[in-house]
Amino acid sequence: MSENSNEQPIYGLLAEFSSAGELVTATRAARKAGFTKIDAYSPLPLEELFEALGLHKSRLPLIVLIGGIVGACAGYGLAYWTSVIDYPINVGGRPFHSWPAFIPITFETTVLFAAFSAVLGMLALNGLPQLYHPVFNVSRFAVASKDRFFLLIEAVDPEFDYDKTWSFLTKLEPRVISDVEH
Amino acid sequence: MAKAKLDRSAFMLPAGHHLHSVQRIALIVGIVAAGLTAFGAMSNPVQFFRSYLVAYLYCLALGLGSLGILLLHHVVGGRWGSILRKFLEAGSRTLPMLALAFVPLLFGMHELYEWSHADAVAHDPVIAHKSLYLNSTFFTVRAAVYFLVWITLATLASRWSAAQEEGGGPAVNKRLEFLGRGGTILYAGTMTFAAIDWVMSIDVHWFSHIYGLIFVAGQVLTAMAFMVVVASSFAGRAPFERIMCADRFHDLGKLMLAFIMVWAYFALSQYLIIWSGNLPEETPWYISRLSGGWEHFGSALIIFHFVLPFVVLLSRDVKRNPRSLALVACALLVFRYMDLYWLVVPSFSPGVFTLHWLDFSAMAALGGLWIALFVQQIKGHTLLPLGDPMLAPELAEGAES
Amino acid sequence: MDKHSAPGPQEPNAMIGPGHSFNSVTDKISSIVLREGAPRGWWIGFGIGFVLTNMMLVSLIYLFARGTGIWGVNIPVGWGFAIINFVWWIGIGHAGTLISAILLLLRQEWRTSINRFAEAMTLFAVACAGIFPVIHTGRPWLAYWLFPYPNTMGLWPNFRSPLIWDVFAVSTYASVSLLFWYVGLIPDMATLRDRTVKIIPKRIYGVLSLGWRGSVRHWHRYETAYLLLAGLSTPLVVSVHTIVSFDFAVSITPGWHATIFPPYFVAGAVFAGFAMVLTIAIPLRRVYELQDFVTAQHLDYMARVMLATGLIVGYGYLTEAFMAWYSANPYETFMMSNRMTGPYAPVYWLLITCNILSIQALWFEKVRATPIGLFIVAMFVNVGMWLERFIIVATSLHRDFLPSSWAMYAGTVWDWSLFIGTLGFFVSLLFLFIRFLPMISIFEMKTMVPEAEVREDLL
Repeated sequence: MSENSNEQPIYGLLAEFSSAGELVTATRAARKAGFTKIDAYSPLPLEELFEALGLHKSRLPLIVLIGGIVGACAGYGLAYWTSVIDYPINVGGRPFHSWPAFIPITFETTVLFAAFSAVLGMLALNGLPQLYHPVFNVSRFAVASKDRFFLLIEAVDPEFDYDKTWSFLTKLEPRVISDVEH
Repeated sequence: MAKAKLDRSAFMLPAGHHLHSVQRIALIVGIVAAGLTAFGAMSNPVQFFRSYLVAYLYCLALGLGSLGILLLHHVVGGRWGSILRKFLEAGSRTLPMLALAFVPLLFGMHELYEWSHADAVAHDPVIAHKSLYLNSTFFTVRAAVYFLVWITLATLASRWSAAQEEGGGPAVNKRLEFLGRGGTILYAGTMTFAAIDWVMSIDVHWFSHIYGLIFVAGQVLTAMAFMVVVASSFAGRAPFERIMCADRFHDLGKLMLAFIMVWAYFALSQYLIIWSGNLPEETPWYISRLSGGWEHFGSALIIFHFVLPFVVLLSRDVKRNPRSLALVACALLVFRYMDLYWLVVPSFSPGVFTLHWLDFSAMAALGGLWIALFVQQIKGHTLLPLGDPMLAPELAEGAES
Repeated sequence: MDKHSAPGPQEPNAMIGPGHSFNSVTDKISSIVLREGAPRGWWIGFGIGFVLTNMMLVSLIYLFARGTGIWGVNIPVGWGFAIINFVWWIGIGHAGTLISAILLLLRQEWRTSINRFAEAMTLFAVACAGIFPVIHTGRPWLAYWLFPYPNTMGLWPNFRSPLIWDVFAVSTYASVSLLFWYVGLIPDMATLRDRTVKIIPKRIYGVLSLGWRGSVRHWHRYETAYLLLAGLSTPLVVSVHTIVSFDFAVSITPGWHATIFPPYFVAGAVFAGFAMVLTIAIPLRRVYELQDFVTAQHLDYMARVMLATGLIVGYGYLTEAFMAWYSANPYETFMMSNRMTGPYAPVYWLLITCNILSIQALWFEKVRATPIGLFIVAMFVNVGMWLERFIIVATSLHRDFLPSSWAMYAGTVWDWSLFIGTLGFFVSLLFLFIRFLPMISIFEMKTMVPEAEVREDLL
């Protein structure tokens, strides 16, 4: 057992399945067997896979909410500060603080900030962009974006033992098992 | 697949359901309040007609809004509407009674509408111009036409729904779809003019193009909130629990949220356009609603009719829990009354806040009687549209187990 | 709301042709992008678009050289083709957002095969729309004055003006639409990266896909983000055309100052947008043989949405006419009678024919089931919605409050060449998109094939 993950000879083991149902079963089995450093790969988002991997609520809605609130304050603040404090000017007898007229812009900045929070937040939580990842070293992985499903067990997993994990995966009857090089 | 026979009686209002006691209480409250209101009408007829108009418009929103949602459901479909359909049909069947309840307003025309005064027509060129449309004969004829259209639509919707339940097949489904398409158009069109006739014309000089739509949105929201409360009383009870499930209440919550946003959108559009235009013929309407105490009403509407329900309904958990959703709906029903009050009453009392005991008693009288009638309409009918193809899978599942 | 999206187990799913699998969907859609060379139809279409784009560029250069005097605008009609085209284009964009966002929230599966190109259409329509506000002053190099930035003049934009709301609305709309579109493309670009054999496209798609590897953990957040974006885009799209309508409605010009404008404009935008989606989709599905993905059912639903929104627009016309009389305001009354019987009356009645009468054909199932019939109706609506904006702009301005300044308005050659040029610009962008990016969402189409049903019968 090494202390540093980089000293592991390989990144992990990758098993290929031909249907989502098999991957769901395999993922459940892997978690049941005590593996924690696992990931599943699928060409499409499937609710069953989220459940199999034990994914629940994400923090994203909260990030978006905060983004939206910041956007609302920024929009209204901008309109208020420029029209009331920095350069108050009488236009058509309207009050400096014309709150009804500030609503459209406040709304737009709210949506703008919230939308950017959603996308940037999603990418940040996902660690993207990440152009290199060890799984890409497996040449068969190219079909992961087409019609195949993969289960990855990382070598840093405390339960990971090359031979035992290999035989564990074999029992799940995958099409192929591949070593994932660093 | 062999069609399992459904036990209709299992889908009727259960004997111990608290809607029975609600009906009894509503009836008693309604009758007592009606007596009080009649007494008030003798001593203060002007106030009576004003209070009665607001209460009437509120009950109309319950009945007519039901019809509106029902017709919309027949156009767009969806399980959310299937679980409400029987309640909506019951609500729309109260329209004949609502037509009857309109009659007192005909006697109050002189008290309510300035254009019904001959001297006003003679001295005011604007009223004279409008008298072609706003005169008591045409007003009555139009009201009759509106009710005729609404009652016909409601009757057909219930009748064809019954035919569907008796195994009418695709022909009846098709008929209902057509009813929905034509009916939605008729409802929006007639209600627009009804809103102009009955409410907008109180301020005879004022006009706003979006006014009818604000009323339609308000009615639909009122009926939706009411039906959520009714449906929530069946959540978790056999044999409804599989059909009136968390997913459906989630849908209803989303729809309620959407209707709140639509209402706010219409209201804001009207306000912003009139505020910006700042024309002497339009702004008085808002000035009389935003001064002398009414402004607090306006602010309360923004907070309680939009901001608060909006924020609360963003939560997934609130929407999925029938109890919490019903609580929000109950609150909305109160604020719907506030909105109507703020729309109507300042026209009679511009810039001076006013509240009379007749406002409460008229609302209690009409509201109580309406609820009693509504529950009566629920009884004797199944609570779910057993012939609805949308619900067929769930119903079949329930019958097998 | 999912009435049409839940077929029974035996019933074939009408949203996708029979016999498709993950593999066939991937192949069919990505091969359009990855094949060598383009079909002749592509070259013809792109060629026409390219020529017209050059016409647009010439018109723009001449405009910058000579100024807005080359256009037909003059007092009293100071707003002409520029605003008409702006409103028309931005309205067209709205159907794309409606399809991708609102129908997603309503769980309407029929959006899946049309959302990608509808979103692309949104972006390109917004790009065309954006040209006009920037150039209509004749001094586009000062367009940045619209933005609130600290400057040596110490001035800020007037936040009470709808024109500055427009700047915020349109730029937000363009940004969020781009984000939405791009986020949807990420997994598909990963598919293209994995499918192409050529090194340069592989690198480009690889970078654009941000290294997407289909991790389920990623998909999980991705789905949340996509839904949140849809939830944000829905009110956004409504707000954009609402603010466009405020450009008119917050003024006090008769015919513009109407409280019905916001919902009526939004409905009109969706109406025009669906007409444009049909105008594009009907020929496209034929040229690329996509009848399995854009089925007769799709066309039928789009036609229904067009009919419904068209009827709302009709409601708008009706209230406008009634209120003009009911208001008893002589200016309002005159405006409406001038519209209906004045010098532009033929245009008004033509617009009623296009927008209200022609769509009545859509009540009939036969018409909705005939692509060519639908195409004709959609063309009527495209024209009608442009005429509607023309009528709103021209009839309200050309008879202003001062009868001595009354005049007639018509576009000049340069007005028309610029407008038609933007049509070409739109078409070129669309063809480039079809050539280089998957025009149908591959991963979303996969959710529609039978393989996407998860069956765990192993354990």
